[in-house]
Amino acid sequence: MSIITTKAVTKVYNPTTIPVEALRGVDLTVEQGEFTAIVGPSGSGKTTLLNIIGGLDRPTDGYVEVNGKDISKLNDNRLIDFRKDNIGFVFQAYNLIPVLTAKENVEFVMLLQKRSKAERDARSEELLTAVGLDDQMDRRPAQLSGGQQQRVAVARALASKPSFVLADEPTANLDSKSTANLLDIMARLNKEEGVTFVFSTHDQRVIDRARRVITLVDGAIASDERKES
Amino acid sequence: MLFRIAWKNIWRSPTRSFVVMGAIVLGVWATIFMISFTYGMVSSYVDNAIENQISHIQVHVPDFTKDQEYQYYFENPEHLLAEAKMVEGYRAATVRTLIKGAFSTSKGMRGIEIRGVIPAEEANVTKLDQKLVDGKYFQEEGKNQCLVSQRIADKLGVKVRSKIVLTFQDLQGQVTAGAFRVVGIFDTGNAPFDNGNVFVKEADLNRLLGEENIAHEMALILNDPRQVGAAKAFLQQELPDFKVETYREISPDVQLYESQIQNSVNIFIVIIMLALVFGIINTMLMAVLERYRELGMLMAIGMNKVRVFLMIFLETIFLALVAFIPGLLLGYLSVNYFNVYGINLSAFSKGLEQFGMSKMVYPTLEQGVYLQMAIAVAITGILASIYPAWKAINLKPVDAIRKI
Repeated sequence: MSIITTKAVTKVYNPTTIPVEALRGVDLTVEQGEFTAIVGPSGSGKTTLLNIIGGLDRPTDGYVEVNGKDISKLNDNRLIDFRKDNIGFVFQAYNLIPVLTAKENVEFVMLLQKRSKAERDARSEELLTAVGLDDQMDRRPAQLSGGQQQRVAVARALASKPSFVLADEPTANLDSKSTANLLDIMARLNKEEGVTFVFSTHDQRVIDRARRVITLVDGAIASDERKES
Repeated sequence: MLFRIAWKNIWRSPTRSFVVMGAIVLGVWATIFMISFTYGMVSSYVDNAIENQISHIQVHVPDFTKDQEYQYYFENPEHLLAEAKMVEGYRAATVRTLIKGAFSTSKGMRGIEIRGVIPAEEANVTKLDQKLVDGKYFQEEGKNQCLVSQRIADKLGVKVRSKIVLTFQDLQGQVTAGAFRVVGIFDTGNAPFDNGNVFVKEADLNRLLGEENIAHEMALILNDPRQVGAAKAFLQQELPDFKVETYREISPDVQLYESQIQNSVNIFIVIIMLALVFGIINTMLMAVLERYRELGMLMAIGMNKVRVFLMIFLETIFLALVAFIPGLLLGYLSVNYFNVYGINLSAFSKGLEQFGMSKMVYPTLEQGVYLQMAIAVAITGILASIYPAWKAINLKPVDAIRKI
């Protein structure tokens, strides 16, 4: 079952001054349970595509369907609600809330969903245990290493029970050990719990672990390879 | 959790928060103190005027208030005093004979109002006996005693036991004069009053005027100035042929001061709170711009604009309220301290006395002003939160997340 579909998506920045064509007619389908990497050189449009799929940006032309819904037509407030309930985000710079503990960071999105305290407690503890941070729950981001912070970000992305997780260069700020550890966790969640991951990356270690690699060049899909699992 | 995040956010940059809180503490304290000082000055002026000169209520023959001519007197003043004693809230009353005349000594002469008073009653109404700086109050025995102010005494070289001459028209319109012996020198602290009045016994003055049982004025002091309206209504009903006036009617400047004090309070509050609004906006704007990426992330993961607005709003309100409490406490303590010990403005006492104020000011504040301050600070916080919160909700998550 496809959960993401893009049709002829184009994105032009500064259309009235100096137009820059970031995406040129991207057609893409992502199925439930995929572990997909979008790769390509800097400026190829990886992040732009991820932002458009994630409802953070709108295409200049074409449309984006998530779970059968055309999100390019939603207004700002509906998009925020849509992202809250359907999409998990992992950012390159972790972007945790510094004044909250790891557990509170994971709980936060469930609070926005108005879930009960019991459910929030149970799920945040379960997710932090799954990413190997069951003994770090009460620490604040500043008290955690970069790798640990990114694992909290993965747990937070999964807390809302999203249809898929978008991760923009999730390993860019991590050392080898932390990268390997994070990839292990995400691969396990993908395999055992069927969580769909879509990465933008140019980290070879991530590309090696991905089961599908989409290569963007100059805003268009140059190749789309699926590996044997 | 929104409350917790907002609360924790204000402590992210403690130095910055403490600086703006310090400004709020200072602003709140300064406003409270300035208002209490203004109240103190005004009540000093009003109290001084009531105590020395006007009293709460005065009763005259109607034409006396127009011309202050000696022939507009009332006879048998005892019945007016009897009516005054029936007034609710009565504290003291007296009658006076008032004549314009000349005060002369061997050194010179000046125009003056001669106040013929009943010594014991006058002391109850104006505490004249407590304002002596030299000599004694009127003695039971002895005719033609007078009390002269320090200012006149200095100007005309008068001392205790000096002899002075008062010249005026009697009730038949004939110029008459009486030699008086100075028994005491007073200082009310109200320069205009002291420069223009001399006290003698009513009996002595009436004898010289040619009518024993007359008076021009009855003055009444109440226990509580707020009873003045009811007291006037009662007396006017009981004494329909007389003109009954409250201190506000007699002295419009007192009424002006009393009515303008609330305007002054409002102006103080608005000016200081406006200054604080800009200080808080500056701090909150810095806090928002500094957290631009984080706010973008919050909106990206599903925090809607209402919640973002509310979070910034709460942070601003917390910042204002946390500082308001010590500011209020500091204001309350300093007002209460100076209310007891006073502020000595003797360095400016000459100028103050010219305006009828005493050199000691006792700051005072009605409880309602503290509530007004609380409301003002809350409004300040709300106003100051709007622009930073508006900035926050108008950011684009996709741009904000990329910010370094």
